[in-house]
Amino acid sequence: MRRAARGRLAIIAPLAAGALALLATGCSSSSNLTPGRLQASLGATFANLYVLQQSEMGNPPVTAVGLDSQASCQKGGTLDVVQSGSGVWLCEITYLVAGPGYPVIAKYNVNVQTDGCYAADGDGPASVNGSPTITGPGYKQVVNPVYLIDGCFDTT
Amino acid sequence: MPGLADAVEVRGVTKWFGDTTALDRVDLTVAPGDVHGLLGPNGAGKTTLLSAMFGLVLPDEGTLRLFGRTRAQAGSAWLEGVGGFVETPRFYPYLSGRKNLAVLARLDGGDATALIDEALERAGLAGQAARQKVRGYSLGMRQRLGLAAAMLRRPRLLILDEPANGMDPAGIRDLRAALRRAAKEGVTVILSSHDMAQVEEVCDSATILNRGRVLSAGRLDALRAAAPDPVWRMRTSDDAMALGVAAPMEKVKAAGHDDGGMTVHAAQDEMDRYVLSLAAAGVAVRGLDLDRTPLETLFFQLTAGESAEEGAQEQVAKP
Amino acid sequence: MSLAADRWPAFVEREATARKPVGPVGGTLVVWRVELLKLAGKILVRGMIVLSLIGPFMVVEFLNLQSATPGDTPFGQWVHTSGFAIPMTILGFGAQWILPAITGVVAGDIYSADDHFGTWKTILTRSRGRGELFAGKFLAAATFAVFMVLLLTATDLFAGLAAGREPVVGLGGQLVPAGHATWLVVASYLSDLPPILGFTALAVLLSVASRNSVVGIGGTVVIAVLFQIVTLASMPEWGQQVLLSTPFMAWHGFWTSPAFYGPFGWGLVTCTAWIAVCGLAGWLIFRRRTIGAAS
Repeated sequence: MRRAARGRLAIIAPLAAGALALLATGCSSSSNLTPGRLQASLGATFANLYVLQQSEMGNPPVTAVGLDSQASCQKGGTLDVVQSGSGVWLCEITYLVAGPGYPVIAKYNVNVQTDGCYAADGDGPASVNGSPTITGPGYKQVVNPVYLIDGCFDTT
Repeated sequence: MPGLADAVEVRGVTKWFGDTTALDRVDLTVAPGDVHGLLGPNGAGKTTLLSAMFGLVLPDEGTLRLFGRTRAQAGSAWLEGVGGFVETPRFYPYLSGRKNLAVLARLDGGDATALIDEALERAGLAGQAARQKVRGYSLGMRQRLGLAAAMLRRPRLLILDEPANGMDPAGIRDLRAALRRAAKEGVTVILSSHDMAQVEEVCDSATILNRGRVLSAGRLDALRAAAPDPVWRMRTSDDAMALGVAAPMEKVKAAGHDDGGMTVHAAQDEMDRYVLSLAAAGVAVRGLDLDRTPLETLFFQLTAGESAEEGAQEQVAKP
Repeated sequence: MSLAADRWPAFVEREATARKPVGPVGGTLVVWRVELLKLAGKILVRGMIVLSLIGPFMVVEFLNLQSATPGDTPFGQWVHTSGFAIPMTILGFGAQWILPAITGVVAGDIYSADDHFGTWKTILTRSRGRGELFAGKFLAAATFAVFMVLLLTATDLFAGLAAGREPVVGLGGQLVPAGHATWLVVASYLSDLPPILGFTALAVLLSVASRNSVVGIGGTVVIAVLFQIVTLASMPEWGQQVLLSTPFMAWHGFWTSPAFYGPFGWGLVTCTAWIAVCGLAGWLIFRRRTIGAAS
């Protein structure tokens, strides 16, 4: 085979093979964007942000440990959808403010991207994450930390 | 002489480009200190062969040695002491002539940078021309800058592809003198041309190339001895009578020319005898010019003969 | 304008100050220096440097004029709260587009420019071999890419610091104090060095293979865009990891609590593979190529 053609083949062949391999596996959706990882990350991030929110509102301090926040997430809202991968997830975060007997549930619409980062939009209760801003001492308006939660988890 | 390697030794070099054979088992030898002409019509493979000497084209077969070393043996020292250019020299158009030489001198290393001023002066590009951006250069100025760039390499072997291309007659005259002078000091020169007249003026030996094959090679004297007669153009007071005088002379072939006057094929001494015979016969010679030297005739014969042969082969090949 | 024929040949008599031979590494460094000098004179290069110096401050001004905040990027919502959010928003929003374009402009042209000017035959017939020229140009392109990342790190960080040094909210909800935030911003920017070098190698391959600067530069930008599109598709982890755009986001793990470095580590593997494959392919194409028109 002429040298020029051989050179071109040397470049195109592995690229084509790689592309075909990618396409072949593209249909499968086994990935590390699992409910477990999302829940762990969202729960912990919410706890830290809630602590921040309470301190900015001038309320009595709370601790992340004391909140014991647990997230429970479902993709697509129904049970038929495959529970992994990027897309819209509905999450509920259960946490304790006034003691073990009184759990509060905060709801979020979570957009999960393929790189393991997510943006969680607050969906209730209104007093917690309904408003983009909160009022601190001296009537200062600041960003509500739990209104929009940006977080990331490890996908490797 | 043992230990004295040829400046350039080409053995059986072949190069294909797709289906075209650019060089076909080419052999070429240039002794040190020689001025060697590489002749051939356009497309003969001269540029490809010179490119192979520079390592710009890598042959598919055969060996090529400069100063006794192949490219593999010499490594990055392949072109030490070798300078020149292939086709029109090209430079960075957005830089001045001087800055271009500065870039090349830096690449060469050593003290090449210190030689720039002198190289520019010897190439006739000092002053304003050196400061001008190369995009504004004429073809002749580019050739000169190419020569300056070659000089920076302290060449013991100069390889020049159609160096007179684009130069005015004064420049060509200067170039010829410069090359002759260089050869006298022991520099080997290879220059390519499609014009045998130029080659005759300055070369000691020549290789004639056509369609990638060597048709003939050797010292110019030897080639001349084996060459056919030169061709003269003549005007006389009586062309018909002149043709008659030539008829019985075996070694003089005279014929009328369409543009008027006559064409005469004869060696110099036969021509002398013919002119004297014309005078004796009462025919005055009004004009006599050498139209083609023996080597030019040889050159055209060889290359035309090649074409005819190719044509004949094609005829045979077609069903 | 004579050729001074009476003073030819030139310099043969002055052999005394002959050059000492340099090895292939020394030769590569010679080419590297020459190419950097040529780059420093290019208008496009100077323009990009100027843009990198003033651009971030213009972004800060632009953000100051808005009351709303960029909501689509991490840290976007905090740009009015903390200056550290500004370099992070720029990085998150623009890195995967801007950085490939920056390196593409130089690396996608540095080989094909010589094809365009016909100067390969000029520089290949000096004292530097093909390998030294290839490697030297590659190094020069890589040097420019590294320089631009360092420059952008400094200017983006200073633009942010000028806007305010309040603690910034990290990607784990935690409050990051100013000292640690500065370090994280620098680390995040530097973590984009491997992928930009990957794109440098890709641009070099395109430049060498096509001998055309439009393909070299434009192709790099187009491929960066394609990566962005492909990454949206649902595919297994290894598929995402193979893309050269993924390592641009490895810094996310620096800002979580606790931090994770898996993507950064795998990103190093990916980028090394891309650099090796593209560099090798470019060299294989170049090393025995015919220079000049075949005649």
